[in-house]
Amino acid sequence: MSNEEQKFSDEFINAFVDDQLTPEEKAQVYAHLSGNEALNRQICELRKVRDMVQLAYKEPPLPERGMASFAAAGRKYAVGLVAGLALVIVGGMGGWFLHQPRAPQDAAVAQVMSNPEEPAKVLFHVSDGNTEHLKSVLDDVEDLMKYYRRLHQKARVEVITNGEGLSLLLAGISPFAERIQKMQKEYHGLTFVACQNTIDRYQEELGLTAKLLPGVVTIDSGVAQIMRRQHEGWVYLQV
Amino acid sequence: MDVFNFLGRTREAKARLEQHRRRLYRIAYAWTHNAALADDLVQETLAKALQKSGQLRDPNAGEAWLYSILVNCYRDHFRRRRVTEEIDENTITHESTPEKESSEQQVVLRVREAIARLSEGQRQVVTLVDIQGLSYLEVAQILNVPIGTVMSRLCRARHTLKDLLGDFAPRTAAEESKIRRIK
Repeated sequence: MSNEEQKFSDEFINAFVDDQLTPEEKAQVYAHLSGNEALNRQICELRKVRDMVQLAYKEPPLPERGMASFAAAGRKYAVGLVAGLALVIVGGMGGWFLHQPRAPQDAAVAQVMSNPEEPAKVLFHVSDGNTEHLKSVLDDVEDLMKYYRRLHQKARVEVITNGEGLSLLLAGISPFAERIQKMQKEYHGLTFVACQNTIDRYQEELGLTAKLLPGVVTIDSGVAQIMRRQHEGWVYLQV
Repeated sequence: MDVFNFLGRTREAKARLEQHRRRLYRIAYAWTHNAALADDLVQETLAKALQKSGQLRDPNAGEAWLYSILVNCYRDHFRRRRVTEEIDENTITHESTPEKESSEQQVVLRVREAIARLSEGQRQVVTLVDIQGLSYLEVAQILNVPIGTVMSRLCRARHTLKDLLGDFAPRTAAEESKIRRIK
């Protein structure tokens, strides 16, 4: 395996971590993931650095005088227009503030101890509810499952959703309900997991009872599950 | 009527630009580590954007375009000043709140210090990619450098950060409790 490790340049691995590769290039990396401890570690370390940078600026300190805005500086325009704009801004910022603490922390720090003897174990973490993003997650999962099937390699893959990513697994909301059911039937090692904490939060804050797609497993906390899996040697992919 | 149309358009443009303020601020803060300066740079950026908003044909290009204006404002600021701004340590330490996990806060401060120690080019690349999640191509256009330069700067920046922050690695137990509490 040691000459395999030399196969990718650091830039290439960074591009993998940042999802800047073509599907073919990504597949090349996936192909070398299981059993290649050095590569796993390198990817984890890069992800960890990225997660830490994100965490460090998630809530930057605000200027003591408060943030500037056009509303405050809008002297030239009619008061009504300015007030209207201010409302938009205040509303937007209010939304931002309310939303912010609920946003899932992507700070799950990857710690992988890969063991080449075991079946491949990969977890995907989905915390973003954007449709395009969800589609690319499912594409990646499917590519990986196909790849393992071609290799006759046993694999367990978990797609863990929390925060806004939960929408992937909500009945009546998920844009990919059918596709997920098809994938569940097709690949036995594939599990879709929903975070109970997120479900509870939906219930509490929005009064919505989350109905999950059939076959979806719930766990206490998405983040805790990720940590547990990592300690069990799963490869962590945040997509 | 023209006046109303103009005002209406300006108001729309402003409201649209305001949506970007927080995201721009985060980056400006990551570059300067000075809240007041970051706020000024963002305000200047948005004001310039408003002036030039007529030039913008494709609304989807908006965000990358705003970052390139921010890059110019940032560059102009330091060209004017000639003197490098000091990192305001006080601002960094003031923000802790009682309920904030102190170890999390420590990580945050350590990371900001490490980011502040990167070269300007590396800092810009790593923050645009990591915090804003921009693609390499977008970052290359924003900074007006070849994409290969973006990749090598990013690579070096992360390498340096990893070295500077390396000793966070073995503390898995502490990390786990921190992460559990984030929920």
